[in-house]
Amino acid sequence: MSSDNLQVDTQISVFNSDGSADKERLYRVFAQTGHQSLVLMQSPAEKGQKVLMLGDDFWLLMPGSQRPMRITPMQKLLGDASTGDIATMAWAEDYSGTLVGEERCGEATAAAAATPCLHLSLSAARKGVTYQRIELWLGKTRHEPIKADLYVQSDKLAKQARFVMDKPHAPTMVNEMVLLDKLSNHKETRVRYLGRKERVVPQTWLNPMFLAKNPALE
Amino acid sequence: MQRLIVAALLSAASASCLAQWETSGQLRAQWDEARAADAGPLAVANSIAPGMAPVSSGGATLQSELHASRPGFNAVLTLQSKHAQGAATHSAAWFNELVLSHDAGAWQFALGRKVVAWDVGYGFRPNDTVQQEERRSFASSTPKGRPLLMVEHFDADTAWSLVWVNPTAARAQQGAQEPALAARVYRRDGALDWHGFARLGAHTGAGIGAALAWVATDALELHGSWRYQRRLDTRGMAATDALLRGNPWQAATVDNAQQLLVGGTWTNASQLSILAEAWWDGAALSDAQWRDWGLRNQRLAALQGKGPPGSAIAGNLAWQADAFGAASNLRRGNLFLRLSWQNGAWQPALDMLYTPADGGRLLTASLLWQGDRVSVQGGVRAAAGPHGAVLRQLPNQLQQYVNATWAF
Repeated sequence: MSSDNLQVDTQISVFNSDGSADKERLYRVFAQTGHQSLVLMQSPAEKGQKVLMLGDDFWLLMPGSQRPMRITPMQKLLGDASTGDIATMAWAEDYSGTLVGEERCGEATAAAAATPCLHLSLSAARKGVTYQRIELWLGKTRHEPIKADLYVQSDKLAKQARFVMDKPHAPTMVNEMVLLDKLSNHKETRVRYLGRKERVVPQTWLNPMFLAKNPALE
Repeated sequence: MQRLIVAALLSAASASCLAQWETSGQLRAQWDEARAADAGPLAVANSIAPGMAPVSSGGATLQSELHASRPGFNAVLTLQSKHAQGAATHSAAWFNELVLSHDAGAWQFALGRKVVAWDVGYGFRPNDTVQQEERRSFASSTPKGRPLLMVEHFDADTAWSLVWVNPTAARAQQGAQEPALAARVYRRDGALDWHGFARLGAHTGAGIGAALAWVATDALELHGSWRYQRRLDTRGMAATDALLRGNPWQAATVDNAQQLLVGGTWTNASQLSILAEAWWDGAALSDAQWRDWGLRNQRLAALQGKGPPGSAIAGNLAWQADAFGAASNLRRGNLFLRLSWQNGAWQPALDMLYTPADGGRLLTASLLWQGDRVSVQGGVRAAAGPHGAVLRQLPNQLQQYVNATWAF
């Protein structure tokens, strides 16, 4: 499915380094053409909170305040899965890539060797992206994403990602992205895509001041 | 009113059965405690005539907030039961919002009680001319909206709003209750947000304002806001040393008042955030007014034992506390610094309000833990600085609270 003009319902589950459950959040994301995304927080703890991302510009509405606030790219790195992790549906438009080479990737088991992969190095093509550099491994045969190393501006490894596809033998889309924090708390964050459909939202929804409106957004 | 509340509750309860309705809410239990000051006009009044000017010492509060909305309608209802120490339990209910709206694409219309919050600052918002929300409140709560009629127009980068607030209120109503027409124009220009404001109050006359927010770097945001108003509401009294039979602090206005705020936030990759703001509030009492106020406090206290009845002296001192509510800021010049950190579920914060004119400081520390449905928050606030500072004369010098909230 094209990444342009999507409505995606996402579940974030965070686990502590000992495997115990930490928290769970639900988001509805309207990802639109031209790097425009509107994120509606759906969990009871965050209900009413909204984040609007227009290219490299960001706004936040906290529940009860009714006042959209301009925020910096650093402030959108909130939580164990940043808003960027949730709102970005494809890396193709935001990064330019080079092929590093062919490697074995994924976990080797007693029954099977590690998967043959293509190693790509992606560099941020614009300013407002969450990660400055991504090392990405794709399956050599079907080009499905296997794993990725995500680096922030300081070139520190921030997170390691692995991907769970819908059909292991004939993958068409990512069902789940598992992020392991490598910077601070070593928590594991699972980003599950509960539903996707094509959706073009009215232009007014992408005006920062419209965040304060309270339409029942379906 | 009670029938209305019951109807609203039944409506909210049955709302989940209707597909178009969206409902949510929260239940909060809070305990707070405040230590009465041993200085200041109320402290002296109570030392002369105990109980003359009761000062809140805290208590327990149980509060539920219910949200119900559907296309064209939004309601937020608060039910509260409060038990103050040494007093009876008091229960109340109110609508924070009860608004009908119409979505005509780029045009949006609203009618009812609604929170309309404008401007770009944190510690002070000169151009929050509709809601006029209290800032830097100790334990945050959902504001109660204003009755209004609103028309708005949106396109990709521009929004404008025209609001008739408090349309049925009397012209003489003060502050946020005054009937007024207020307008805002917003324009997005890359890393800059521009805001223009205008307000025509029933007795405060015409005013204009402007504000901007600029994301200067990935970590730094800068903002500023300025407002001019023909008149702004305040309270004042004529200087006198005499004992009076009635409260000398009466509604007054400041002519050609200006308010200005500049500030910025800096946040790093570890989610450590610093907010710094400085502002000038031309509606607050002047240095000369506070000087006269302090002198009158001293002279009233000195009358003790010299003939006048203690109750008269205490009553006059108690009226002096009206000066604390004259404007949204005590002093005209203010500096505010806030340090906060988001570390997973924990959010500690420290802040300080400083008034350079008298060296007064108001220090606040808070800690929030946010779970999936439950959050627990606590805080402590204390006044500091020279004994003559206005902040040191406030009725409560040390406040603390802890609350637990369950969201559903």
